[in-house]
Amino acid sequence: MLNNRVMAVIKRELREKIMSKTFIISTLAFPLLMVLIIGFQIVLATFEGESDTKITLVSESIEMRNSLENEFSEKDWVKSGKYQIKYEVVSLNEFSGYLDKNKSEMLEEKITGIAFVPDSALIDKKIKFYAKGSKNIMLEQKLGGVINQALIDQYFVGKGVSGDDISFARRGVDFNLFKVSEEENFEEESGGNLVLAYVFSFLLYISLLMMGSMAMQSVIEEKTNRIVELILSSVNATEFMTGKILGSTLTGVLQMGIWISPILVIAGFSLQVLPENLMLTISGWQVLYFMFNFFIGLITFIGLFSTVGSIYDTAQEAQSGLMPVMMLIIIPFFITFTMIKNPTNSIALVSSMFPFASIIVMPARMTLVDVPIWQFIITLLVNIGTIALIFPFAGKIYRVGILRSGKKPKLSEIIKWVKFKY
Amino acid sequence: MNALEVKNLTKSFDKVVAVKDASFTVPEGAIFGLIGRNGAGKTTTIRMMMNIYMPDSGEVILRGTKVGQEFRNRVGYLPEERGLYKKMKVLETLLFFAEMKGVTGKEVKKRALTYLKKFDLLDRKDSKIEDLSKGNQQKIQFIATILHDPDFVILDEPFSGLDPINTNLLKEIILEMKSRGKVIILSTHLMDFAEKMCDNIAIINKGEIILHGSLNKIKEKYGLGNVTLNYDGDISFLKQSNIVASMNDFGNYTGIKVKEPSQTQELLKSLIEKNIVVKRFSANEISLHEIFVELAGDGELKKEVQNA
Repeated sequence: MLNNRVMAVIKRELREKIMSKTFIISTLAFPLLMVLIIGFQIVLATFEGESDTKITLVSESIEMRNSLENEFSEKDWVKSGKYQIKYEVVSLNEFSGYLDKNKSEMLEEKITGIAFVPDSALIDKKIKFYAKGSKNIMLEQKLGGVINQALIDQYFVGKGVSGDDISFARRGVDFNLFKVSEEENFEEESGGNLVLAYVFSFLLYISLLMMGSMAMQSVIEEKTNRIVELILSSVNATEFMTGKILGSTLTGVLQMGIWISPILVIAGFSLQVLPENLMLTISGWQVLYFMFNFFIGLITFIGLFSTVGSIYDTAQEAQSGLMPVMMLIIIPFFITFTMIKNPTNSIALVSSMFPFASIIVMPARMTLVDVPIWQFIITLLVNIGTIALIFPFAGKIYRVGILRSGKKPKLSEIIKWVKFKY
Repeated sequence: MNALEVKNLTKSFDKVVAVKDASFTVPEGAIFGLIGRNGAGKTTTIRMMMNIYMPDSGEVILRGTKVGQEFRNRVGYLPEERGLYKKMKVLETLLFFAEMKGVTGKEVKKRALTYLKKFDLLDRKDSKIEDLSKGNQQKIQFIATILHDPDFVILDEPFSGLDPINTNLLKEIILEMKSRGKVIILSTHLMDFAEKMCDNIAIINKGEIILHGSLNKIKEKYGLGNVTLNYDGDISFLKQSNIVASMNDFGNYTGIKVKEPSQTQELLKSLIEKNIVVKRFSANEISLHEIFVELAGDGELKKEVQNA
């Protein structure tokens, strides 16, 4: 299979791809983009709201007012002045009048919102929040917790409960996550692997799509340029396709190697560099699996993309044939997101061993769950089996497609090609 | 001895029969012309000979064995629709195509440079293909075809798009290869070149080989009773003549076919009797053009396969 003709095709493919601007720019720019995207999300996640959020806390009694002030003034985000809190005492009857009076200021956003904590809240913990924006979850979560603590304080006042008891009542539950694996120790889990799962599936998604479209583009070029006829006078279509797919695959693997090496370095030094809750736990053989799985994925998808390219004369025409192939990448990518909520969900389990989908789902899954060896083996067998099953058909369509031109073929015609003797 | 034997090749695409039961032989050390109109099936036949297409039935025999990869390695092919990798450099391109034929090393590089010099392209060896003019790209493609010193050269419409100087250069190289015993297969619809260069021909029309054999013998046969006439005067009386089988006016000259070869003298006599000024009268001669038009010209297919 790997004779000197195929080697010549591989060499040419490597030279052309690795020297191309697209390759060099994407290899360098992508890690940067990654850092930006992740950084942006961290910023979003930790965003504390606008810096001059003005909240008025209205209560019915002076005791409640003081209790709220005690709680809020201790918070960093109030101390820093990001949130400016005003405390008012207004009775229930007068509150609607008070609201009317302040309505215009709220509409002009001089006041972000008014929270009304009536005395009845000491029974049912129901408070009211008025603001221009209808729903601000961030504000709800931020204020709600602190108001609750003020209510707890007020509730226990004069009930002869000790300070220790009160502080216990005030404390929330601290969820410590441990990953159960076959290893002896339960490892305490960190958010780092969640990020890693996200990074892995994103890298696979981007790279498969990019390498795939590049391969398709190159097939269309060879077809419309008519180079293909000259090449087929030296090598047969199968050898040529093999050479091209392997050439592109090696390029992709090289690029992926460059991309994930910083991750490995970070993982290696994660104790020193990253905060405890972002620690990465990844083993050497997981990296190996990731790369091998990627290698198989590239062969599969570059083969499919090339086949699509061989059918059509222009990239525009190819769009329609491209959709089904792209779906095989996009749907698994979204499945990986379901794992961020619950890594052990059954869709993820099945799709991690399903043809095509497993290429993207399994690497993300293995960083989150302790995947048994037999599942890895099934996945590998499924993927290699998929290649063995689809390539004879893809090769047939490719052989017919690259030498024909003219009218955009219908699906029924393409199916007929498989029966052609080429 | 025959270098290549094409036996009963048939190929259809969906319901269209592109080549039907095509058979002919290509002798050793000769220039062979595959002649036909556009869309007659020349390229499909060549693709089957090169194993680019699998024939529906039939086979191609190379010196006694069925063609395969070995033939591919020893053939140089210049397709009708030219194409090169635009972003590749000239020398890089040439060496890539040689490498695919299994030829690498210093020797082939030296040869590439020699050819580039011959075609006046040595200073462009590091240019990208896309920066070359169309004519120059065509020269590069031709060099790529012959660089690995193939035993067989298949040229599909090799002269299209070349200026007269380069046409001559190409012709010289083809003849030089012939003198070295290479087999050259020329596919063309240009009768003039085919007539001047080919030793053997096959005429293909609507997917069928309608005539093949040695050009000399074909011309001898078809020339019999054929007269080429240049004249002044009115020769319309010949239409009524009982010795004339057909007349074909080419503008500068008229081709006349008499019913019996022996009647050519009678034709000359009748022209002189009618006071026609005869400028040129050549008997028993025919151009390939005339043969081709006669056989493939009028819509309906005339099949006359002969082994001359």
